[in-house]
Amino acid sequence: MATEALSARDAARPRRRLFRRQRHREAAFVWCLLLPALAIFLLYRLIPLGWNFLLSFQFWEPTKPAEFAGLYHYEEMFVYDDVFWQALGNTFVYMAMAPISIVAALVLALLVDSRIRGRGVYRTIIFLSYPLMAVAVGVIWRWLYDGKVGLFNYILRSAGLIDAPIAFLETFATAMPAVIVAAIWQIVGFFMIILLTGLQSIPQHLYEAASIDGASRFRQFWRITLPLLRPSLFLCFVIGIIASFTSFDLIYVMTNGGPGHATELLITYIYKVAFTLTQFDYAGALTVVMFLLFLGVALLGNLLAGGEAGKVDITE
Amino acid sequence: MHRYPRWPIHAALILVSVAMLLPFYWVLKTSLTGENIFAYPPSLLPQGIQPFFYVDAWYAIPFARFFLNSVLVAAMVIVANLIFNAAAGYALTKQFRGKTAILFVLLSCMMIPFQATIIPAYLITAELGLLNSYLGLALPAFSHIICIFIFKANFDAIPPSLIQAARIDGVPEWKILLRVMLPLAKPAIATNVILSFIWSWNDFLWPLIIIRDVQMQTMPLGLSTFLAYFEDTTGALYAFCVMVLVPGLLIFLLAQNQFIQGLTSGARKG
Amino acid sequence: MRPWLVNRVTITFATIALVVLLWNLYVAQHDDGILAGTVTGPDGSPVPGAKVVLSERTIVSLDPIAETVTDDQGNFRFTGHDRHRVVLTASKPGVGQSRRLEVRLYFRNQNRELAEPLQLAP
Repeated sequence: MATEALSARDAARPRRRLFRRQRHREAAFVWCLLLPALAIFLLYRLIPLGWNFLLSFQFWEPTKPAEFAGLYHYEEMFVYDDVFWQALGNTFVYMAMAPISIVAALVLALLVDSRIRGRGVYRTIIFLSYPLMAVAVGVIWRWLYDGKVGLFNYILRSAGLIDAPIAFLETFATAMPAVIVAAIWQIVGFFMIILLTGLQSIPQHLYEAASIDGASRFRQFWRITLPLLRPSLFLCFVIGIIASFTSFDLIYVMTNGGPGHATELLITYIYKVAFTLTQFDYAGALTVVMFLLFLGVALLGNLLAGGEAGKVDITE
Repeated sequence: MHRYPRWPIHAALILVSVAMLLPFYWVLKTSLTGENIFAYPPSLLPQGIQPFFYVDAWYAIPFARFFLNSVLVAAMVIVANLIFNAAAGYALTKQFRGKTAILFVLLSCMMIPFQATIIPAYLITAELGLLNSYLGLALPAFSHIICIFIFKANFDAIPPSLIQAARIDGVPEWKILLRVMLPLAKPAIATNVILSFIWSWNDFLWPLIIIRDVQMQTMPLGLSTFLAYFEDTTGALYAFCVMVLVPGLLIFLLAQNQFIQGLTSGARKG
Repeated sequence: MRPWLVNRVTITFATIALVVLLWNLYVAQHDDGILAGTVTGPDGSPVPGAKVVLSERTIVSLDPIAETVTDDQGNFRFTGHDRHRVVLTASKPGVGQSRRLEVRLYFRNQNRELAEPLQLAP
């Protein structure tokens, strides 16, 4: 691509000075094209990130001038704030939804990938939950989990598994698993689609060769499918990790972090500290920790994936 | 190759499909009957179907206003995304000094989840005087990095000979973008429209933060406010829920392929 | 060759627009808020001079908003009530009271002739 463009430019070059002026104009044009998008990212990504770091080292209230606070907020957070530790732990527990839904999605993808009739319909149905508004999904699942007349209680009681109804979202032991199930329901279709694309990019002749060599289907799966699917699998993993740091809507609607702080994630805690307690400075420090954790886990996942997940070819 | 029987696969997939569709069915049934809000056991089949919960929901909240707010914000986001992303995507197909730095910046921005910037983003929006406004709702979503790369990939796939032919004819660069590139980038346009629509439509955290005025609420915010007022005591909540879901579902079903392609190509990139 | 406008997206949205338009036309034709019916006694004969109260049922409460008196044939008629979920009760001293009759309308001010009479019982 690059060499082609250069040779074309060479061919179209009448005189050197004209060429240079034209190149200046072209550069100006390119920057004009980039500017609007870059302005948005500057305004709502880079500046906020920097400001956030700054905020976390300050005492700051909307009406007062800022004062340097040093590590005060971090000390507060790590030493005194039990809710922070609970939210942190919950965030990691919530991450469990990633491996569970990846395994489920892998099974589904293999099933849908077999050439059966109606697989397009199955694919649509399983994916249908992903583009839905998470707020509405939360409302629906609240209703399914309802302690008095919810569907799940009905099913479990009819099957004789439980004697008394369980208010899933109001019980400490069940609230987190219940929320995780809803999150898996929503994301599993997306993972399935990613894995399907991965499966379809595996060259068919590998399987044919393996069949000729007499490899069993299980062996083929273990030796061909899984290794070649690794980038897709880890891509799902990274997306799942991101979701556990960002899925605010579902938690907010289903439990709002309750009961107690049993389903409090870092993001819901940050929201509460910032916008109901209006401690912007402390929430800023929480956000810094969340962001660094997120970055660490995402980079780790990326490393395990062999650097495939976040890769864009810069040299092209 | 297909010596194994098919029916177990169908059985398993049908089972999963039922599990995936069950929540939809349940909320639809409740919104149409409301019969088991208080009664136990719930009946599995709908009995006494009537549309009155929808009427209640329609009048209990300024539904038309919420809908209009959501549509307006989504429209602004879609238009801005098309312009900004197509321009940036086209710029990235060219060679220029600082391109590597720009790509680096874009890729790093991709690693900053919006949730990690909400506090300063709120303060900035307040400084700009955009709290409680459509522009304030839409502005942070004016450009998605994934969509820029989708445009770039699409432009890269256009044969360079076409562009050179236009250049030799003396067509100015911006006209090349408008007349040559964009008509050939229809898949990227479709993907951009649907992705930015769905993201804007479903967005909840940002409206929750910057909207204080009931008249400016978008649909998801309206739904959560409604839930906060009435808890689970009325079928109108579920009717509202269905009314909120239907537009997104409709758009998704109409443009399923573009949506899936966009998500998978976007996900591959980041 | 199909014209470019004929695809499922435009067809879907045109259909939705058409349905919304027709619905609004229907609503415009039927939104005088007329709610009419009869009051009968325990024996089923019309009761003139009975008081009929129209209350609004909201999600949380029941508020009386209008009342009227039946004519010689026992008919009553409200206009312009501007509600979508109302409760009617009729009463006449000496004859009795009726059950609460809940009337749910498809839109506010919808015209409705009640087929069932409000029956008074002591």
